[in-house]
Amino acid sequence: MTGRSDTHAAESKESAAVRLATAREEYVQLARQGRAGRDAASRYAFQMDRVVQTIVHAARDRTSTPFVVCAVGGYGRRALCLHSDVDLLIGFDGAIAGPEEHFVKAVLQPLWDLRLELGQHVREIGDFAEPDLTNPEFLLSLLDLRFLAGDESLYDRIANRAGSQVPAIIEPLLAMVAERHHQFNDTLYQLEPDIKQAPGGLRDIAVTRHLRRMAPDAFTNGRDTDADRVADAEDFFLRIRSILHWLGGRDVNLLTHELQEKVADAMGSAGSHPHSRVEALMGEYFLRARVVTRALASTQKAMHPRPQGALRRIGKQFEITVDGVQFANPERAMQQPSLWLEAFRIALEYQCPVSESSLTLIEQNLNRCSADDFVATEGDRLQLRRLLTPRVGLYDRLSEMHDCGLLNRIFPEFAKIQCRVVRDFYHKYTVDEHSLLAIRGVESLLDPSNASRRRFGSILQELHAPELLTLALLFHDVGKWREADHAQESVRLAQSVLDRLELPDDERATVEFLIREHLQMSQVAFRRDAEDPQVAARFAELVGTEEQLKLLCLMTLADVGAVSPDTLTPWKEELLWRVYVEAYNRLTLGYADHLLEGDHPALSVLIAGRPSDISEAELVSFLEGLPRRYLSTFGLGAVYRHVRLARNIQPDQIHTFLENHDEVWELTLVTLDKPFLFSNVSGVLSYFGMDILRGQAMTTPDGLVLDVFEFSDEEGFLKQNAAASSEISAMLAQVVAGSVDVTSLLKGRERSLLNRRRVRRPPVIHFDNEHSRKFTVLEIIADDAPGLLHRITRVLSGQGCDLHLALIATEGKRAIDVLHVTCAGGKLSDDSQDSIARELETVLEVGD
Amino acid sequence: MKLIKSIVRPHKVDDVREALEKLSIAGMTVTDVRGHGRQKGHTAVYRGKEYSVSLLPKVEIEVVVADNVVEDVIEAIMAAARTGEIGDGRVFVLPVEQSYNIRTGARETS
Repeated sequence: MTGRSDTHAAESKESAAVRLATAREEYVQLARQGRAGRDAASRYAFQMDRVVQTIVHAARDRTSTPFVVCAVGGYGRRALCLHSDVDLLIGFDGAIAGPEEHFVKAVLQPLWDLRLELGQHVREIGDFAEPDLTNPEFLLSLLDLRFLAGDESLYDRIANRAGSQVPAIIEPLLAMVAERHHQFNDTLYQLEPDIKQAPGGLRDIAVTRHLRRMAPDAFTNGRDTDADRVADAEDFFLRIRSILHWLGGRDVNLLTHELQEKVADAMGSAGSHPHSRVEALMGEYFLRARVVTRALASTQKAMHPRPQGALRRIGKQFEITVDGVQFANPERAMQQPSLWLEAFRIALEYQCPVSESSLTLIEQNLNRCSADDFVATEGDRLQLRRLLTPRVGLYDRLSEMHDCGLLNRIFPEFAKIQCRVVRDFYHKYTVDEHSLLAIRGVESLLDPSNASRRRFGSILQELHAPELLTLALLFHDVGKWREADHAQESVRLAQSVLDRLELPDDERATVEFLIREHLQMSQVAFRRDAEDPQVAARFAELVGTEEQLKLLCLMTLADVGAVSPDTLTPWKEELLWRVYVEAYNRLTLGYADHLLEGDHPALSVLIAGRPSDISEAELVSFLEGLPRRYLSTFGLGAVYRHVRLARNIQPDQIHTFLENHDEVWELTLVTLDKPFLFSNVSGVLSYFGMDILRGQAMTTPDGLVLDVFEFSDEEGFLKQNAAASSEISAMLAQVVAGSVDVTSLLKGRERSLLNRRRVRRPPVIHFDNEHSRKFTVLEIIADDAPGLLHRITRVLSGQGCDLHLALIATEGKRAIDVLHVTCAGGKLSDDSQDSIARELETVLEVGD
Repeated sequence: MKLIKSIVRPHKVDDVREALEKLSIAGMTVTDVRGHGRQKGHTAVYRGKEYSVSLLPKVEIEVVVADNVVEDVIEAIMAAARTGEIGDGRVFVLPVEQSYNIRTGARETS
């Protein structure tokens, strides 16, 4: 090395240092004012080019091999922030030996001395013969290759070779995106987002543009009309990132709670208090991140078009295209908001998205309608309710509804937590996203990932009205729009939703209960001694019924799981499960011990609200001897109906009431107890082909029997025959009067059905003499089959048992029956249990 | 210096933490753990099926304290975590040879 070139290098380094310092100073000035966006980054990259070129120029004599120095990655696309890595590719048209190494050192050393963070790649031209799939990051950085200094023809050759490798990059690129998004739980609504890496951040903008360049044909037809909005998002993110770099003095990209206030001030976000300025900043952030997420999603969709054969027409108004559900007649769809919900229903049914164009149409026509327009008729209300049933894709569709503004339009109460930021040590997402993620948690139980989740998944399958869980989750945190006692405020806000949906009283009470008490189960599980009998008893008392227990359990699991990816540990799941089991056992095994008495607090409400045809004495006399839980299971209307049914009931008579709820029929009957009664009644339902889904049967010490059966009419007997209802009632009356023998009626029917039986799992038969003071509790879990309940209870009656209370449930194809029985007025002896178990096993295994 | 490691019932964590704070012991590590001692779990019945609950959820609390307060700390933990029933947990005391503050690099002495 000559003294002259040393001097030259020193002079170059000095001039580069001056240029860099000036560029940084200018950049910092803009960053402080929140104005260092795309233009500033681009100008800074331009100055950086001059710095690198100056240094390269001084080092060029170190090698005689033709070389090229290029910018790659973020620097290549001129998105260079104050402390971003300066990514360089140094390529040689020949082998790298001593002189080339000297050249590389002479380029890099001065840049390091300038305290630049370098990301350097040194390659020979031969290295580009094949794409290096072991290094997808490098391949990606080549997508932004830009000439800085050296041999231009060499640059062209490298650019050509890199260009030819593009198709090989697509899959690794998409895999990297999926993996990166997964690290953020696949949601952009991070309370402390990483401006660069988070879904909807700067990296996604780069990926979107890369993909669009790779497949330009896919982006005709105006699919890149969002380019301006994406550029606006990039400008906004770069402005924030510049502030983070300036404040942190290094490559900081995490917009933490602590930094949000400072960034909001620098960006000039609106608001009189620091917190409101932060809310404004984050609101703007999420808005833009959503634009980017949608742009990336539509790009990915266009890259992987589905085969043309997948296109189909759904009715007159819809078609499913490669983009998802579309309106066949957009003009009409603009005018008819009910079609919007229908589009989402179809998307859920066919497991595809709602198309971008449909979402845009909805978004642009939202102000034509109000919340009431979506619940104008009973059909509308039912449709909206059904839409909320947990199933695959529900989170995605609700997110689409939320993103296009439809969810807020249907439920203005939910708009109160739009992008709401609540700072604490635990939550990672905005309140609205937390609520939606909780719904995603419920959805994931439909396909549980492990044994622990499977047990919760089985509870979900048993739910009577699972859409109530979604409804409660959607509104459980809306009260967080203000600081104090959010559960109460959430209940208050949910009132108007429940008014509009016109839910029946009991379901309304359930949703209110879930929202109001949504923190109770985690309190008991994680903060109280759940094994303390008093704590367990109080909790069981609070939930009241198995259905509410199941709902609250799943709600708690989903709520905790949606706090952050790490909050719901197997340890917490186990604690929750134990609380569930303890409460379930208390509710199902012990509750027949507690009978209603005259001083029950709910009694005064019932008496005060009674219709004129029911006297106080009649009401009190009816309730006497029923289990205490009766009042938490049935609403006022049902209780008064039961009182009327019980009026003037005589031996061998039966009073019935049959009604239809959606797909499920409910039969209520009152009669006086006699041997084989329950078995005969359930046998009649089986005889008519009814599939008993749930049921409760209770007998008072005076022998009054009240049974409520819910069943599905699989064979359509009730639907197709106008006289079916009275035919069932008549048959029940004959059976109770003893003029018809159900067992012989059922024989033929059971034989034909049993012959078609699948492989059956062994039944579980369990006797419990501990939980109840007065009764033996028999639990039977068996594959459901026609006449099953009839056969089980006939065995009990045949063995001289009295049935005091029955809880009937089904979970998929399994029947779960809990029967409270006595024999000669006392609990069953071991011998008696053995004898019953043997007979039950025979009956359950082979029928009879 | 001693490392005091206690295994307590999950719902007793707040009580133990408060008791330690009263002794001006602020730094602690809390971990969700599962295990069993002599209690060896028990069986539970759900829907007629018995299942063994052999590993019980517990919480492990670790504090490093000066030798002269070890007795007080043990006493405070035991008083706060005790219910008198089987399964209340354990307290272990281990010697600590050295301790460093990572940020400052300073070696800490009792």
